[in-house]
Amino acid sequence: MLVPGKIQHIICTGNLCIKEVHDYLKTLCPDLHITRGEYDEETRYPETKTLTIGQFKLGLCHGHQVIPWGDLDSLAMLQRQLDVDILVTGHTHQFTAYKHEGGVVINPGSATGAYSSITYDVNPSFVLMDIDGLRVVVYVYELIDGEVKVDKIDFKKTTTTTAH
Amino acid sequence: MSESIPRLESGGSSDRRRFEGLRGVQWRLDLGVIPAAPSSSIDDLRRVTADSRRRYASLRRRLLVDPHISKDGSNSPNLAMDNPLSQNPDSSWGRFFRNAELEKMVDQDLLRLYPEDGSYFQTPGCQGMLRRILLLWCLRHPEYGYRQGMHELLAPLVYVLHVDIERLSQVRELYEEHFTDKFDELSFHDNDLTYNFDFKKFSDTLENGSSQENASKVRSINELDPEIQKIILLSDAYGAEGELGIVLSEKFMEHDAYCMFDALMSGVNGSVAMADFFAHSPACGSKAALPPIIEASAALYHLLSTVDSSLHSHLVELGVEPQYFALRWLRVLFGREFSLQDLLAIWDEIFAQDNRKMDIVAEDDEGSSFRILSSSRGVFIAGIAVSMILHLRSSLLAAENATSCLQKLLNFPQNVDLMKLIEKARSLQALALEVNTSTSSSSSGAFVQSKRMVGRGHSLSSDSISPRTPLNLVPDSYWEERWRNLHKEEELKGGSLQKQVSTKKKGWSEKVKLSLSRTESDPSPAKAENIKKVTRTSVRRSLLEDLSRQLGSDEGAEKRSSHQIGGQKDHLSVKDDLARSEIHNEFSCADEERRLSANCGSEENSSIFSDPVSPLSGPIDHENDSEKSSVVSNLSLDEHDDQLQSTGCTVEDSPLPVSDVPDNTSLKSEPNNDPAGKAAIGVKERRPLSGKFQWLWKFGRNASAEETSNKEESPEASKSSDVETIYHDAADHSVIDHSISSGGIKGDSIDGNMIGSLRNLGQSMIEHIQVIESVFQQDRGQVGSLENFSKNLLVGKGQVTAMSALKELRKISNLLSEM
Repeated sequence: MLVPGKIQHIICTGNLCIKEVHDYLKTLCPDLHITRGEYDEETRYPETKTLTIGQFKLGLCHGHQVIPWGDLDSLAMLQRQLDVDILVTGHTHQFTAYKHEGGVVINPGSATGAYSSITYDVNPSFVLMDIDGLRVVVYVYELIDGEVKVDKIDFKKTTTTTAH
Repeated sequence: MSESIPRLESGGSSDRRRFEGLRGVQWRLDLGVIPAAPSSSIDDLRRVTADSRRRYASLRRRLLVDPHISKDGSNSPNLAMDNPLSQNPDSSWGRFFRNAELEKMVDQDLLRLYPEDGSYFQTPGCQGMLRRILLLWCLRHPEYGYRQGMHELLAPLVYVLHVDIERLSQVRELYEEHFTDKFDELSFHDNDLTYNFDFKKFSDTLENGSSQENASKVRSINELDPEIQKIILLSDAYGAEGELGIVLSEKFMEHDAYCMFDALMSGVNGSVAMADFFAHSPACGSKAALPPIIEASAALYHLLSTVDSSLHSHLVELGVEPQYFALRWLRVLFGREFSLQDLLAIWDEIFAQDNRKMDIVAEDDEGSSFRILSSSRGVFIAGIAVSMILHLRSSLLAAENATSCLQKLLNFPQNVDLMKLIEKARSLQALALEVNTSTSSSSSGAFVQSKRMVGRGHSLSSDSISPRTPLNLVPDSYWEERWRNLHKEEELKGGSLQKQVSTKKKGWSEKVKLSLSRTESDPSPAKAENIKKVTRTSVRRSLLEDLSRQLGSDEGAEKRSSHQIGGQKDHLSVKDDLARSEIHNEFSCADEERRLSANCGSEENSSIFSDPVSPLSGPIDHENDSEKSSVVSNLSLDEHDDQLQSTGCTVEDSPLPVSDVPDNTSLKSEPNNDPAGKAAIGVKERRPLSGKFQWLWKFGRNASAEETSNKEESPEASKSSDVETIYHDAADHSVIDHSISSGGIKGDSIDGNMIGSLRNLGQSMIEHIQVIESVFQQDRGQVGSLENFSKNLLVGKGQVTAMSALKELRKISNLLSEM
């Protein structure tokens, strides 16, 4: 399903652990953004990253720095700190997506379904974002019981960007 | 925008040039987008225009897909299928990505289209329009895809439409009163909700207005210049089909351009379809297996050779292939060689020519060997090209190598006198028409000749459904697969015997057959190998059958051609053998399919026959089942029958004609095309058996010095004019001679079983001969119903020879039974 050429950017929250995975992701798309996770051997990944795609500002962070892990309010703090519309974090190995204060907080889950100490029954999942002008369509791909299930969520950016 | 080049009077087609001043409309007329008949009224034009625009609009709606537009839940399809990463080809995302790729290719070309400053083509509106048109056309014609050059064909079409619109706005300014809605001499303005006009003033103006002014204002439309009249009528918003029918409409420029482009590319059932020039593979209708652009380039050279042979030979000597420059010339219809205005004039002339296929009074399918030359438009295009070449004559003759020639040809000078060029093209047109009719008799050009041969083969083998395989060896796995397919079929469907095609290409089929037969010529004598042998032989048979099937048409053609050439006897005789063996195989394969149990029989048959037939092959294991032996003998007899009657059996769908075999005989002057007719009746049942026999026969033949024996037989056979039967006889004789001789040699090696089976074989042979004879009686009455191939057969003679062949068979069977 992941064929090169269809995806323009890859945003990865971290914990790739080894270089081979990094190289594989590079084959899918040359534009790769990664932040450092706690098990990454590559020390030069940043802790957080921000980038702009289309009309949206995206923020990236692994999430083990935000305590409590996976807490929406704390993540919202980080979102305000980075001043982004879409915040992408990980670490919990569970997919979540919140609309919060005019922005979106997405946790794509674990792409490999790796073990997590805080989540039972990890299903491999990833998220595909289709950014089109002021509209983002989020496709969630989850591997449940051997089958790929797809879900879709729509987000529209409101023009008011003033943060409180 | 001014048309500085006066239009030449074009022959007698002046009635088609209704819209001299409006190129857009004129070209639409010429290309067939709007009806060309002089009787069609403006209303008709409007209706047709409106229809074509509707079609385009619906096409656009259908094909330009935007997967984002599915906001409401009801619209969005199954997400599992329709997500962006879906590999499902049906998903709208898949289509979106494919379209995006196509668009990227198109954009690459569009950016470089007429890039000079102020160019109309680089405006974003125009670019968007061009992009959409090209995209939709390519989506609609996926077999062509997008090729560079299509955008250059489209650009002038859009340009002339644009020019027309500009003309319209000019006229609008001048003759405003005809375009605006005026009632009571006052025009309604949108912001006038009530009209409070001054009656007094109005009446004053009426009275006081100068006569001239009045006259000019009140002028009715009929008094206007006819050209202006036309323009007004064509842009009338109240005519037929309303606004959609406004022929000169800016709003629907994209629709019109698409229709013109489509008409140009497809040729509208004419002879010259531009899309052909972009195709890589040969057109299905073409006689030669050449891409159309190559064929057209060759046509150019052909025309040049008749006009100016010294220049032609000079170019050929230097090795300047026509397609080096003609590709560009033809693909964009000289778009790159001339400036835009000049190009418009040339296209005027080209489109004015009729694109219908002309009836070339020449030999049937050999005439009009150049597709481009079979319509006057195509001929004119060729004429222009040749006149361009002639324009450069002196510099080309002076050039010493191909590179400089091509340089000159590809950098055509800008300031060319177009009038002269077009005049010359016209004169060449007449010449080319003559040339085309006599092309069939000329044998210039290798491909023409080969085309003829192929064509002949085709015409003869038109009944056969044998697939045409390329002349190269097929890998083994392919054959295995065929075997598997064959093995699945339980029943032969070949109820109707295919008429044999006498012309087939021998070529590689011969080689393959030879190799296959050679490999088979040593069947293992071990009895224990029954099954294996069966498998092997059946495989071989099926393989050979496939061979024969596929080679059928090839064989026929090649044999015929070699025959025509008066080919080598040896070659032919070998081919005969091969053909026969092919046929045998065919039959044997068919047979197998019919009776699975017959496998053993066939094996036995083969073994039995291989004994008498090929002395080298040891006694093959055979089950001395009388049934089987009779089956075997049936096979052999069938084979004989078949060969005698030269019936073509179609095992599955291959029309391998038995008559092929006889045809190959070099002695025979008449290719025997239709042996099939003879054995039409009784062959079916005998087919399976005979197939095996033939297969064995082939082995025997190959193993022995068949050529020599054939030669011996040939003199004998020459008495009869019936090729196949003679050949058949010859074959029989040779085979039987061999068998007898080999029998004598190997007599001691044959065990009792073998002899017994041979006796049985002889018996069954006799039976079958009787059957054949009865069939002959029937066949006599059926001669008339044979296909055209059979016309060549002198059936009466054939019957006679068949009878004599049967007698020979009797002799053989007697011999066998004696053994």
